[in-house]
Amino acid sequence: MSTLILGLGNPILTDDGIGVLVAEEVRRQLPESSAVDISEVSIGGLTLMESMIGYDRVILVDAFYGKTATPGRIRRMDLNDLRKISPTQHSASPHDASLITAYETGKSMGFPLPEEVIVYAVDVENISEFGEKPTPAVAAAVPKVVTAILKELSQS
Amino acid sequence: MKRITIDPITRLEGHGKIEIFLNEDGDVANAYFQIPELRGFEQFSVGRPAEEMPRITNRICGVCPEAHHMAATKALDALYHVEPSSAAKKVREMFYSSFYVTDHTTHFYALGGPDFVMGPDAPPAERNILGVIHKVGVDIGKQVIDTRIRNHHLIKTLGGRGVHPVAGLPGGWSKAITEEERQEFEEIAKKNVDFGLFSLKLFDDIVLANQEYVDLILSDAFTHRTYYMGTVDENNHVNFYDGKIRVVDPQGGEFVKYPAHDYAKHIAERVEPWTYLKFPYLKGVGWKGLEDGMESGLYCATPLSRLNAADGMATPKAQEFFEKFYETLGSKKINGRFEPVHHRLATHWARLIELLYAAERMVELIADSEITDPNIRQVITSTPDEGIGSVEAPRGTLTHHYWTDDKGILTKVNLIVGTTNNYGPIAMSVKKAAQSLIQKGTVISEGLLNKIEMAFRNYDPCMSCATHSLPGQMPLEVTIYDHNGQVIDILSKNI
Repeated sequence: MSTLILGLGNPILTDDGIGVLVAEEVRRQLPESSAVDISEVSIGGLTLMESMIGYDRVILVDAFYGKTATPGRIRRMDLNDLRKISPTQHSASPHDASLITAYETGKSMGFPLPEEVIVYAVDVENISEFGEKPTPAVAAAVPKVVTAILKELSQS
Repeated sequence: MKRITIDPITRLEGHGKIEIFLNEDGDVANAYFQIPELRGFEQFSVGRPAEEMPRITNRICGVCPEAHHMAATKALDALYHVEPSSAAKKVREMFYSSFYVTDHTTHFYALGGPDFVMGPDAPPAERNILGVIHKVGVDIGKQVIDTRIRNHHLIKTLGGRGVHPVAGLPGGWSKAITEEERQEFEEIAKKNVDFGLFSLKLFDDIVLANQEYVDLILSDAFTHRTYYMGTVDENNHVNFYDGKIRVVDPQGGEFVKYPAHDYAKHIAERVEPWTYLKFPYLKGVGWKGLEDGMESGLYCATPLSRLNAADGMATPKAQEFFEKFYETLGSKKINGRFEPVHHRLATHWARLIELLYAAERMVELIADSEITDPNIRQVITSTPDEGIGSVEAPRGTLTHHYWTDDKGILTKVNLIVGTTNNYGPIAMSVKKAAQSLIQKGTVISEGLLNKIEMAFRNYDPCMSCATHSLPGQMPLEVTIYDHNGQVIDILSKNI
């Protein structure tokens, strides 16, 4: 099964870089011979969907920000969970579609998109200030997410 | 005075919101669109080597990193007093044109287009790219995605990385084009021209052939008579990469034309007590508040503005559509140039004409014998001090201004990003949209959020620069206050 791990986020926007940090750490801990592809990207919507084409499984790591966020909390979600919180109505960005909309768009055009999309989201507190280091609670979540992802990979 | 607040983005709660103030009669007195701003960029940058700026600033925005990369690279040219070779400029412009094709394609099909293709009154669940594909066919959807993928390939090859390019150097570009790549890029460029023509035909068939949509474009609700800004070449044709900044008045006369490094002589920023945003305006006209007309210094910098500020397009097919655009929208020629079109929804059509121009420009550049010249970088010998770089970002004129010590370490940074130029006009558009649905204290909540979204969407504003954070949706919240500041109603979507 071909697997892609994508760390999403802006590495110079304090907690927003959490996905990138996790992806870098997973890369360090996986043996070089591992067939898993790992990438760090600051993208969303259509570009994100396009980068998933051809894989059987994609694990996304991203920051979660909202009224119910508790900094450092880790959420594991699948596509159905995303569908529930992200109806195909408006985008987070006025420039792009939401991931679910982009995914359904790609599917409807017959692109080979992964059936299994797993999202690890870490609740964050500061994503509006420039900085290269996450806040302490968010930083503490990094090894936990890494462990969870490695476990997930070893079970497949 | 009643006060209505619309909070557009949960993730930047407390920062990004629309506020609508009603007068005693319950009519809209004023509306302000407060775009969330990321904080601390200057502190983050100062003390770093200036040559890092093309790679740092392209992280400011998840949507137009290529524009920041290019403006930063041009600012370094000026900072280090080094002029890129003609071949280097062409490689940069090739890269930049490909970015324009991608960006404009995405905006039209995924964002602005759905309002027209599906209709402004279609349910939001259908008013997105999925709905568009359902209506126009899967094959067209595939063309949209193919266009994005082939141009992303070019951007990655020439930029050294996908999404966040690294190739810009003071005085040059680190990646030259090989003959093999030239042949490949030629195919990409030709396909882009076909796609641009196809998209304009689609606009013809779906929008222009429908009187209801034409009436909507021409309606007063989406019309503002402002000044217009855009970069033009020596023939006063639209240029995205380089040229002089030209501003025309609401009647179409040239108000001023200046080199980008003179921006501070012509543009001032107005600070208002109710927002941390600064509203840029033309010094030579003056600040008259959020008003349009000849006497108000507000200007607009969008695809529509660039067409209005120019005398024409530099490529033949785009020029044909430029003429059709003005003739169809009832603009007359005065002193050899068309009167400006003030209908904001025409921005979507202007965007497609720019897409075609970018594609045609790619065909021209790739056919140029210099395009595979490997000598596109040079040794720097002068001492850095201060530099200004400017390009047309898809969302408006983008200016980077850096000051350094004699070792090239940044001491001060100033950026005017594309959307900033349009803060005033966006606020006016939101006000008009609100006025049509809030009268005498009666708020027609059905459609209010959609209409306001539509009003600001044509500006394609950069509201946030890390747009991918979950949950990945754009909530809108309208809080209505009575004249005593008490909440009387809350309308929301996707909260």
